[in-house]
Amino acid sequence: MIRKYWTAYAISLQETLQRRSSLLMDRVGGVAIIVSLYYFWKALLGTKPSFLGYSGEQMLSYVLVMNILRSFVFTGRGWQLVGEISSGRISSYLVRPISYHGYTLALDLAQKTVHLAAAFLEVGVLIAAIGARVYLPHSLSTWLLFSVSVAVSSLLFFFMEFMVSSLAFWTSESGGPLFCFELGLQFAAGTFFPLDVLPHSLQKALAMTPFPYMVFFPINIYLERMAPAEAVKILGIQAVWLAFFVWAATAVWKLGLSNYSAEGG
Amino acid sequence: MLSIETRALTKNFSVPEKDPGLWGSVKSLFNRRWRQVRAVDSVSIKIEEGELVGFLGANGAGKTTTLKMLSGLLTPTSGEAVVLGHVPWKRKSAFQRRFSLVMGQRTQLWWEIPALETFRLNQVIYGLSDADYKKNLGELVDLLELQDCLSVPVKKLSLGQRMRAELAAALLHKPALLLLDEPTLGLDVVMQQKVRAFIKEYNKRNKATILLTSHNMDDVVELCPRVIVIELGRLLYDGPLAQLVSRYADHKIIRAVFDREVKAADLAHLGTVVEDGGLKAVLQVPRGQVSARAAKLLQGFPVVDLTIDEVPIDDIVRRIFTHK
Repeated sequence: MIRKYWTAYAISLQETLQRRSSLLMDRVGGVAIIVSLYYFWKALLGTKPSFLGYSGEQMLSYVLVMNILRSFVFTGRGWQLVGEISSGRISSYLVRPISYHGYTLALDLAQKTVHLAAAFLEVGVLIAAIGARVYLPHSLSTWLLFSVSVAVSSLLFFFMEFMVSSLAFWTSESGGPLFCFELGLQFAAGTFFPLDVLPHSLQKALAMTPFPYMVFFPINIYLERMAPAEAVKILGIQAVWLAFFVWAATAVWKLGLSNYSAEGG
Repeated sequence: MLSIETRALTKNFSVPEKDPGLWGSVKSLFNRRWRQVRAVDSVSIKIEEGELVGFLGANGAGKTTTLKMLSGLLTPTSGEAVVLGHVPWKRKSAFQRRFSLVMGQRTQLWWEIPALETFRLNQVIYGLSDADYKKNLGELVDLLELQDCLSVPVKKLSLGQRMRAELAAALLHKPALLLLDEPTLGLDVVMQQKVRAFIKEYNKRNKATILLTSHNMDDVVELCPRVIVIELGRLLYDGPLAQLVSRYADHKIIRAVFDREVKAADLAHLGTVVEDGGLKAVLQVPRGQVSARAAKLLQGFPVVDLTIDEVPIDDIVRRIFTHK
């Protein structure tokens, strides 16, 4: 049973590596962003010991850890899914005895593996090249809480992206919803800057959405900017969002599939 | 045993309707009208295990829609189907393990990497033991002459190679039922011949049921002892290919050879002149009037030789494809 998905993972890994140029392009874009963010914050911090409650080291670590986290959490194959649905290629999976969710997750994991490795490499090179110092959590429990929160947010992203991509069953110009989703996501999750930069009311509003729980709060756990009890609370909220999106993604998928079966593709 | 049985299988689609022009587009943005189209209309067929059946019809006749229902991709609007003992649209894995659907224009092969990797994936998807996998793959590679294509990325394969690799991927698990949609589309003549020979051989060796749609005359004539014809979603004919002619052709062909030149215009009252070469003529004559017209021809013209033929089968099939 698990062998199916393992094989899918292994094949997808090969394929991702095969698309060298597109991988390289992705990564170069990412590096450009972290390098500019890194120097932006460095300049802003100047000689100040802290900014918005972040020490200099924490703020610069935010940028670097973000690169790694983004590569792992926000890597998925939403666009391929959209393409497969709107071109009808998905049919070839639907007639085979395999779960499309499991299959997609296996493929996602393969991409995450490659991007994670690349992100570590980039951050490593940056650290070596510019002598940046990265904050490392002191306590073992922080590492544990951080790992769990990253695992949950990866799953959360998987189901959210799956749900949004499934909208392609209805919209013939199906990239639209996914495009909006990705744009909003990067901003609201705190990928570009720590959300503390935003006005208080906006922060509060964002906290009502699942996005900050995907990157911003996990990084704050990592940077030990919250007490363990608070971190556990974050995990709890993540779990609630995850449960919701598992349900929603499954429901949308089922509806989409029955629509597909009704209208063809 | 029956492989496929359908009763009054019917499928309606709703398609959006739009007035012409830009204004029509704007209007349809806010107020979209839908029209019901009946793609398949009460089709009842029975196909025995091991049969090789051609499924014919013009574009849009409902062939692909029917294949999609039989493979479980579409749920019918009404009617029933039992395929290999299962209701296909329930998509049970016990059913999916036993059939394969190959659509000529679509690929299940991974594009960037060699086809062998897709084969491996299918091995685990269909739960084939290593021994079975090796045996089946060896057989398919031989039959389809795939030796040189296995380690090349799929995107580098020619269309013919890709189609054969596609067939191999679909047949690794030795399906009892194979649904083929346009298996020779876009292939050159030699490759078409190879694919046809393979389909025939696979059917014989494995007693597999095969239902294929094709716009290629030769596919039908060479492969399918039985044909099913649908037009505008309705079943038009189901029976031996050989009898399709007498059922479908409303005329016969009279060929005459003269010992003096005869003008085409003089023959017009006897039937449609399809060919005239002075000393030779070919006439299309309504089926019921063949003997009367032949007698008139013999009486009124300097005939030295005369034959009466059925319309060639490929003509009939061609006419089915073109809706005439």
